[in-house]
Amino acid sequence: MIEVHALTKRYGRTVAVDDLSFRVEPARVTGFLGPNGAGKTTTLRTLLGLVRPTSGTATVLGMPYRELDEPTRRVGAVLEATSYHPGRSGRNHLRVAAAAGGLTRSRVDEVLELVQLSADAHRRLRGYSLGMRQRLHLATALLGDPEVLVLDEPANGLDPAGMRWLRDLLRRLADGGRTVLVSSHVLAEVEQIADEVVIIHRGRFVAQSSTAELAARATAATRVRSPQAARLQEALAGQQIGVRGTGDDALAVDAAPERVGELAAAHGVVLHELVAERATLEEAFLELTGGETTR
Amino acid sequence: MRLLIAELLKLWTTPRTTLGLLLGMLAVVALGTVGMLAAATDEVRMSQTILDDLLSFAAVSATFALIVGVLVVTWEWRHGTMTETFLAAPRRERVVGAKALAAAAAGAVLAAAAVALTLAVAYVWISDEAAVDFGAVWATVGRLVLAGAIWGVLGVGIGALVRSQVAAIVLVFVWFFVLEPLLRVLIEGSDYLPGAALQALTEGGDDVLSSAGGALVATVYAIAAALLGTLATLQRDVA
Ligand SMILES: Nc1ncnc2c1ncn2[C@@H]1O[C@H](COP(=O)(O)OP(=O)(O)OP(=O)(O)O)[C@@H](O)[C@H]1O
Ligand SMILES: [Mg+2]
Repeated sequence: MIEVHALTKRYGRTVAVDDLSFRVEPARVTGFLGPNGAGKTTTLRTLLGLVRPTSGTATVLGMPYRELDEPTRRVGAVLEATSYHPGRSGRNHLRVAAAAGGLTRSRVDEVLELVQLSADAHRRLRGYSLGMRQRLHLATALLGDPEVLVLDEPANGLDPAGMRWLRDLLRRLADGGRTVLVSSHVLAEVEQIADEVVIIHRGRFVAQSSTAELAARATAATRVRSPQAARLQEALAGQQIGVRGTGDDALAVDAAPERVGELAAAHGVVLHELVAERATLEEAFLELTGGETTR
Repeated sequence: MRLLIAELLKLWTTPRTTLGLLLGMLAVVALGTVGMLAAATDEVRMSQTILDDLLSFAAVSATFALIVGVLVVTWEWRHGTMTETFLAAPRRERVVGAKALAAAAAGAVLAAAAVALTLAVAYVWISDEAAVDFGAVWATVGRLVLAGAIWGVLGVGIGALVRSQVAAIVLVFVWFFVLEPLLRVLIEGSDYLPGAALQALTEGGDDVLSSAGGALVATVYAIAAALLGTLATLQRDVA
């Protein structure tokens, strides 16, 4: 379990995290969502005892990370800035981590197998691709078979197969009762991986909800093309639905496609195109916060 | 203990740097000793003086120990591996402590290797062993190994304070090869400066400091740097 309470971190005049509070429960995958610079990395680094908060607290398993006795066995973490010595081999990178965490060498081979890097384990990290390094860092996080997993943008550099593999892995871990927190700035990614999302923006809390709920709100926009665009626009406006013309025969509508289609049918309007617009993350925020991102 | 093993493993698993430093040092020692012997016009007879002169080249190992100490800390900041190190050991003072011990061990090994090479050169070059007091030789060996260990710790302290690899190494060179030699000429009481103290240790004492005194003063510098470095490391954000 992870608990962030009234957390604030300032870097000089920049407020990276601003009075942020949320809880992450075990047995599910929680997404940690926010645009670039929202303060995700800063929050996670504070949680892991790497960055000192200006005020407030962040605890894992009920205590500050620095007070954990066997951190490697209890919390696994992959942080965004991939850190590695280019001259070390993949296996040796893990051997160092295993030694520091008091784990056996056989565990190193197990996690290498798990992240499918066994064949490349002897190679120097200088020659690893981004995705391979990401897997290596995941392997490091999994070394101690931890109860809590904290991943900062783990999808970076993973190919579709890698993404799928990661999704399945996190699902299995969460189903096994572990706490999994995964940050991302890509809504679509989080939607696929997470059961629940915590959204922050400019260092502040915006919302916490189930992924399904978020997805429903985020898709509430439709692009529609019709030779009778003007009539459709009138009909939509008559229902208090936001609508703008975006071309000769095209409209952007602030409603789900089902609603637009039904209205068009009711008014006998011919449609040439009806597309659910996936709202951007920014729009999802606005939707969730009623247009007010600064509480 | 496991942190110490991890630190030694880090040195062991970056063979290019580690071996490079070792071979670089051995090359310096070999050039120095062989050069000195070759330059002598008369046939060199084994004597205590000659051996002491030769062993003074091995004292260069302390400088290499210092660099190893600096690297042990700064390469982790440079490559960002400090993140993983602190995740495994969030009590950072233990990390600095383990690094100090690892650097001390590495410094001692470097010194021992330098001495071994010097003695090997002496053995091959000079046939007459009668005049050698082995007790004195072993004492010198012990002092050099101690100097390597102490300077390894000093390097860790400096690295932890400065954090930037380039800055730390420049600082070390500017201090030990420019500033301190200048100060020693200009100021009295400069025998207590770090380089002078270490020299008193490796060369078996000077007018002011005995070798034990030199060891003590050098150790105080090393421990002070390590403590300050620990404080700085505790404060720092790893971002
Ligand atoms: N070490 C630092 N020094 C100064 N400012 C920092 C530092 N780290 C982060 N910041 C600032 O804090 C804010 C939050 O940064 P953070 O890296 O936490 O965002 P993020 O949500 O992880 O973004 P991204 O999606 O790009 O990874 C940014 O404005 C950033 O410029
Ligand atoms: Mg980030």
